[in-house]
Amino acid sequence: MNRTVLIIGVIIVALVVFVLFAGLGKDPQHIDSPLIGKPAPSFALKAVGTGETVDLATLRGKPVIVNFWATWCGPCYEEHPTLVANARNLPNVQFVGVVFNDTDDKILRFLSERGSAYPNLLDTNGKTAIAYGVGGVPETYFINPAGVVVAKFEGPLSTELLQENLAKALR
Amino acid sequence: MIATLLLLVLMQVKVPDAEQFVGPPQGTPLAGPQLERRTMEISSELRCPVCQGLAIGDSPSLMAANMKAQVREMLSRGYTEQQILSFFEKSYGQFVLLKPKFQGVNTLVWILPVLAMALGFVLVVSKAKKLETAPAAHAATAAPAAEADDDPYLARVREMVEKQ
Repeated sequence: MNRTVLIIGVIIVALVVFVLFAGLGKDPQHIDSPLIGKPAPSFALKAVGTGETVDLATLRGKPVIVNFWATWCGPCYEEHPTLVANARNLPNVQFVGVVFNDTDDKILRFLSERGSAYPNLLDTNGKTAIAYGVGGVPETYFINPAGVVVAKFEGPLSTELLQENLAKALR
Repeated sequence: MIATLLLLVLMQVKVPDAEQFVGPPQGTPLAGPQLERRTMEISSELRCPVCQGLAIGDSPSLMAANMKAQVREMLSRGYTEQQILSFFEKSYGQFVLLKPKFQGVNTLVWILPVLAMALGFVLVVSKAKKLETAPAAHAATAAPAAEADDDPYLARVREMVEKQ
């Protein structure tokens, strides 16, 4: 009897240790995107400054990089020059900035001080960010020419990481 | 809510709609105190993605406020609780559900506490049975000891006790 109880106890402890161990080393903020391999949620948002409406559906046919950011986000300052430089070097790739929980004047000031090479769209009430499953900014989604999400990157992008993820959209 | 939608139409703005993810609403549109109550209930089931284990209903973050507003809007349009949870799961994955689904590794989360309780119950019952049988066993072993009057050691002890 005691032997059976001991064996069951050991199995339970082993399972608990397995569950805890599986969680060790994982970033608690990391979210595996269920959007990978699925059509990118559609949106048509106004660009800050120009007022033009950018509709994601009209960008089909070339890879699209959708970068979620905000002026109140520290790492976004670090990432911005990388995005601008790559947008200038990659004319066949459409870069789109989606800014949420922010204001036009702050965004315009940020862009005038740090440069701009692609449309930055204002996301009203963060609805676009929610549809994409954005957990924090900066966060970037890579969409292939067919309009399918192929990769998601959390945090500030370097040129290497941008190109590594972009390659998935070019396959 | 209608004013917000009209404003978005006038601005030629189109945000991703819940219908893209979960189809048309399958319930009754809510309003007033019932809307607020259901918003809080459903918000307590969704994890805030920028917090440490907090529900969006309990988080002061902007992200959580946006998500709560989305829950309220979907309820006011007639989306059911199941549709709302499914909408968030389709963009954030199961991460966003504070009550994990009974599938995959999550199954362990549901099964282990029950197994541990069952094991505890078995242990308690087996111990209790042992305690019940112990006095009887003690009585059974005590009888032959009483007969051992010829034990010189016991005789010496008895002698010392009687002297006192």
